[in-house]
Amino acid sequence: MHGRRRQQEREPTQDELQQAKQRVDRYRALNTHVMDLKATSVFTNDALDATKRLLEQNTELHTVWNYRRTIFTSLDEWQCQDTRQEMLDGELKFLLGIITKNIKSYWMWNHRMWALSSLPRPEWQRELGLVAKLLALDARNYHGWDYRRFVVAQLKDAATDKHEVDTQEFAFTTEQINHDCANHSAWHNRSKLLPEILAQRDEDGQLEVLQTENDLILNAIYTDPDDQNAWLYYDWLLDIQKSDEDRSRLLRNKIAAIRELLELEEDSKRPLVELVSAYAELERLQSGSVSEPEKKECLETLRRLESIDPYRVGRYTDMSRTLSKQWALSA
Amino acid sequence: MTMFGTNQLLVDKHVEFIQNLDKKQDGLEYWMTEHLRVSGIYWGLVALFLLDRPQALDHEQIIAYVRGCQNADGGFGGHTHHDSHLLYTMSSVQILSMLNALDQIDGKKVTKYVLSLQQTNKQTNGQTTVCGDVWGEHDTRFAFIAMAVLSFFNTQDQLDTNGIVEYIRGAMNYDGGFGSKPGGESHAAQVYTCVAALAVAGRLDVVDRDRLSGWLAERQLLCGGMNGRPQKLEDVCYAWWVGSALDILRRRHWISAEKLVEFVVSAQDEKGGIADRPGDVADVYHTCFGIAGLSLVRYPGLNEVDPVYCMPRSVVRRLGLHKWQDKVPESWSQ
Repeated sequence: MHGRRRQQEREPTQDELQQAKQRVDRYRALNTHVMDLKATSVFTNDALDATKRLLEQNTELHTVWNYRRTIFTSLDEWQCQDTRQEMLDGELKFLLGIITKNIKSYWMWNHRMWALSSLPRPEWQRELGLVAKLLALDARNYHGWDYRRFVVAQLKDAATDKHEVDTQEFAFTTEQINHDCANHSAWHNRSKLLPEILAQRDEDGQLEVLQTENDLILNAIYTDPDDQNAWLYYDWLLDIQKSDEDRSRLLRNKIAAIRELLELEEDSKRPLVELVSAYAELERLQSGSVSEPEKKECLETLRRLESIDPYRVGRYTDMSRTLSKQWALSA
Repeated sequence: MTMFGTNQLLVDKHVEFIQNLDKKQDGLEYWMTEHLRVSGIYWGLVALFLLDRPQALDHEQIIAYVRGCQNADGGFGGHTHHDSHLLYTMSSVQILSMLNALDQIDGKKVTKYVLSLQQTNKQTNGQTTVCGDVWGEHDTRFAFIAMAVLSFFNTQDQLDTNGIVEYIRGAMNYDGGFGSKPGGESHAAQVYTCVAALAVAGRLDVVDRDRLSGWLAERQLLCGGMNGRPQKLEDVCYAWWVGSALDILRRRHWISAEKLVEFVVSAQDEKGGIADRPGDVADVYHTCFGIAGLSLVRYPGLNEVDPVYCMPRSVVRRLGLHKWQDKVPESWSQ
């Protein structure tokens, strides 16, 4: 359904038509066979095998995944811990073999979670390693990240030192970011862990953590000033500051950083938008902290942005109108 | 470069494309997508209704088929004898309401099924959410579907709406966007489901309107198409996911409608149907959401689509479901 190029069509040969028909007939026969078994509540190893053959061809048949799970839990071997362990270890291998067919399949990831949750002796650390490998292939795969968070939650549950789990996960995101500071999925995961990390520290420790965070995100911004996500993360760091004084101070730092970037490229869209929102926020925090020339500069910047980024002209005119109204009132 | 000179939607070709979907039984793809047939019909029907050609498919045949997809548990599967799931329950209810046949099913049974999927979950720190089926996957999509489906039968107050709203709030991220569940990365399709859910619940106050509108507006790329999150490729379906969310937020004007139309129109297959992007194979899913996206920006000749329910506004009004509009924060409609 996605990303398939149209190709010049020529008439298929008789041979090709025959082969296509045979493929369809084979698939339909197997599908009908499995659905018949299901309809008659057959829960045998043969039925298990039939579902496997069908799912290998079509990973999206959630009804068949449901049936497969039901067969598993109905078999005698399920009742004994050791044989259950064996069955599910085998299932995990099977899933690993087909996951690359469709790495974005909700049903396959669900089935894996079911298998892990049903295992008498799940190896959550091994799962962590596995998902790290998958993310190395596709760092933005949110199924992978969702699954990683699921595994980490299990590890945390079983851990005596839950803080340590968070610290390690936090370090994993640092690794990812150092490898590629534009990895938004890693920054996102980090944003969920940072509050936990901060909660573990005393006030001085927290300041230290936030300073490191500030340096990290500024590095990302300098690496690519157009990276919208980096600026959003930066804004969030401002949000989680403890006091308005801290926020105002950091906003002034933000403005200074933006001015540096604009010296390198004066029509850089993202820094220009961020300049206006930084001043707007400063003025909101403390009325009168933004000077008249700075306010004029903001409105002028918004006018410039209408030409620099014409698709979003509606946004810039809205911002102009809002700020003109707000600042005229407080003048 | 567009093949179409003027921005032209090939209405007749798309109608034909949709009518021919059920005839492609020689192809393996037809059989490999059987499990979502009900959704395929919904996508085709929405496109036809918006193209103002609702009679292009046989209504009675569809109604009979969809009714046959309802299981003993009250839910609907994607095809006859397939297990119930909220995804297909939603499509079924949407189809029947468009074809004015909602009264042919027992709303109490559907309500009972949906309610049975609401649970308080360890993984969501004791918050209330809704699972897609009895196997326990939870996702903000299912929270939205639960609220939307019950609204068709006016039974939505049997849900723990406050609890579910908190689950959705938990799925909000620092960028103002929403993910598939608390902890999930922001993604435009999830943004639509969460914003639409909050609209149905009358709780759009939860949204960080400015931050989210900004994030959504940035989905539009130079080619005019939208992506689902930063750094990803443009795709026609985001004309809907992004457009509908912006519409509910009353910020449709924060993107270029003209450029979006150009992109969607250029993704048409001259033989009929719309693809994810220019030059790719067309399918009914992208045909539906491409046309719905065009309807949102008032492309001429299309019927208006409701941004919450993704159905014609006329149908939504007939069912009394348009009242979500009255609960949009007043300050948003300046």
